[in-house]
Amino acid sequence: MSAQAEIYKLFADKLFRVCLKYSKNYQDAQDTLQDSFLMIFKDIKKFKHKGSFEGWAKRVTVNVALQKFRDKSVLQFDAMEDSKFPEEDVFVDVDEKNISLDFLLSLIKELPPKYQVVFNLYVLDRYSHQEISELLKISTGTSKSNLFRARKLLQNKINNSKINNSKINSYENKHRQVIS
Amino acid sequence: MKINIDKLFRNKIKEFKVTTPDGVWSAVETKLKRRRMLRFFGVSFVSLMGFMFLFFQAEKIVTTDLQKNTTTKQLVKEDSANKFSIVPEVKTPEKVSSFVSDKSKEGQLKLISSPKNSSKLSSNFIIKESIREESFQKVITNTVVEKQLKKFDSPVNNLDSLKKIKKKDLKKKRKELVKKNDAIDSIKFEKDKRKRWNIIPVLGVSNSGRFSKNTTTLGSQRAVTYPEKYFDDNQSSGLISNILGFNVVFRATNRISIQTGIISKELRFITEGLFLTEFIPDVNPTNIVYNPGVEVRFTNTPEIGGAYSESTSLTQTIVYMEMPFELKYRMFGNLKFNTNFVGGFSFLYLNKNEIQAKSNLLSRSIGKADNILTTSLSVNLGLDIEYHLSKRLVFNSAFMFKKHYNTYLNYGNEAAPYTIGMHAGIGYKF
Repeated sequence: MSAQAEIYKLFADKLFRVCLKYSKNYQDAQDTLQDSFLMIFKDIKKFKHKGSFEGWAKRVTVNVALQKFRDKSVLQFDAMEDSKFPEEDVFVDVDEKNISLDFLLSLIKELPPKYQVVFNLYVLDRYSHQEISELLKISTGTSKSNLFRARKLLQNKINNSKINNSKINSYENKHRQVIS
Repeated sequence: MKINIDKLFRNKIKEFKVTTPDGVWSAVETKLKRRRMLRFFGVSFVSLMGFMFLFFQAEKIVTTDLQKNTTTKQLVKEDSANKFSIVPEVKTPEKVSSFVSDKSKEGQLKLISSPKNSSKLSSNFIIKESIREESFQKVITNTVVEKQLKKFDSPVNNLDSLKKIKKKDLKKKRKELVKKNDAIDSIKFEKDKRKRWNIIPVLGVSNSGRFSKNTTTLGSQRAVTYPEKYFDDNQSSGLISNILGFNVVFRATNRISIQTGIISKELRFITEGLFLTEFIPDVNPTNIVYNPGVEVRFTNTPEIGGAYSESTSLTQTIVYMEMPFELKYRMFGNLKFNTNFVGGFSFLYLNKNEIQAKSNLLSRSIGKADNILTTSLSVNLGLDIEYHLSKRLVFNSAFMFKKHYNTYLNYGNEAAPYTIGMHAGIGYKF
């Protein structure tokens, strides 16, 4: 097996995970993965062994995914977004064991592109606001405000889904009582 | 229970596992091949314009059918091509849920079905590692998952089995790390192929010798008038000489390079204990052709015919224009620093043939040897080292042994000389 095939075999699954987070659909994720590996093999000499190769490959993949966003011109950051907002943690009242991964992923996909990108970069891929601002060519304030709005939207969606579930449950309970 | 939203997503995302679909690697491979071909034709065209000889070899990409030989986790496919299941990493019993993409709804990824929560383990959690096949219908069991399940079944042996699992995981991780580093180094070395050509100036020294009895090749004939043998019993040895020229190296593959060039190579021999005499015999008993106007002759006896003679040594200088054709095989080392085995042959064209007489008082050109063939060959063996100073510059040093053949008209190859030399230079890659 060639060295490139070996690298692909070792990292393809992990990088596909990254691609899925930033893509709207499965096909886009595959295309992003292809382009990412081509970029990785092309620029492999730029890897200076500072940190892990996996970390470097993930960053390349994120850059490729973001480029697709830029190409589609869906990342429109408003300069007015850099406004004051409360810098507080956002909490949800939910049992972690009872909430599914698929549900959470679907919530992220439903976010507006600019919120989705900032949320993925900060929360899931652990970029700092400084790094996000350099990557997306925005200010750190805009990055923070978009992250806050993303968190708020997700909090609302989770709370709404809880309410709906409890409404369904109470309807079922009522129905059961009537039957019995 | 309140939980930080960031923490919730980060904890859950750890369970996110996918398998890359087929077809991605073949698409990547096709594009990589195309890239290589374009580069190859570009370099071939440029080198064809600049050089007389082109030896090149297309890069053979050893491909194996990744799909047949890899062992991966496979997702359970239910019906359409776009459906796949995400199987969570089992720490606590979890459900398997379907994450389905529905192309009919403009490619939006939406959760279509979600099995009900169950706190009990079901057979859906069992996935096996197997050789990947064309069909997507096989169910896979995860050996790690099985061990985790066993943990729940027999709590008594938990700790030992956990330790064993951890040891095996560590070994596996170590092996993977070594593989990763090797693969990265290989790719980097291959990437360096963008600068396949390398031109290196050659500057060095060599010493000449003969495997036959330590005699000169200048006194093969017995003179009728002079009963003594000429020069055969005189001490003859090689002298340190210069090597000057350039080599052109083409990296055909990761390990093999082809090398040629043009080198001016000097061989020098000294025969001592001779005399120069003004007595000129009728017959020239040696292979020396004296220059016109030279009124002395070499002899190995001090007095002949009562003529004056002076003690002298005879230096023979032979200069060849050498065109080597050698293969270099990288034995040790990495991208930065490597050692190569060198083997091949050279065509030699006689450029200079001189005999000088050196005494205490003066040194002068006396003539030339008439038994040296204009063209000859040498077989070359040696070692060289390369140290890559930068992207474009490489330091090269070689130690070479070269045995000449077909050198003399009337001597066998045992009398043909050999050279042992060392040369170095800083080359330019392009």
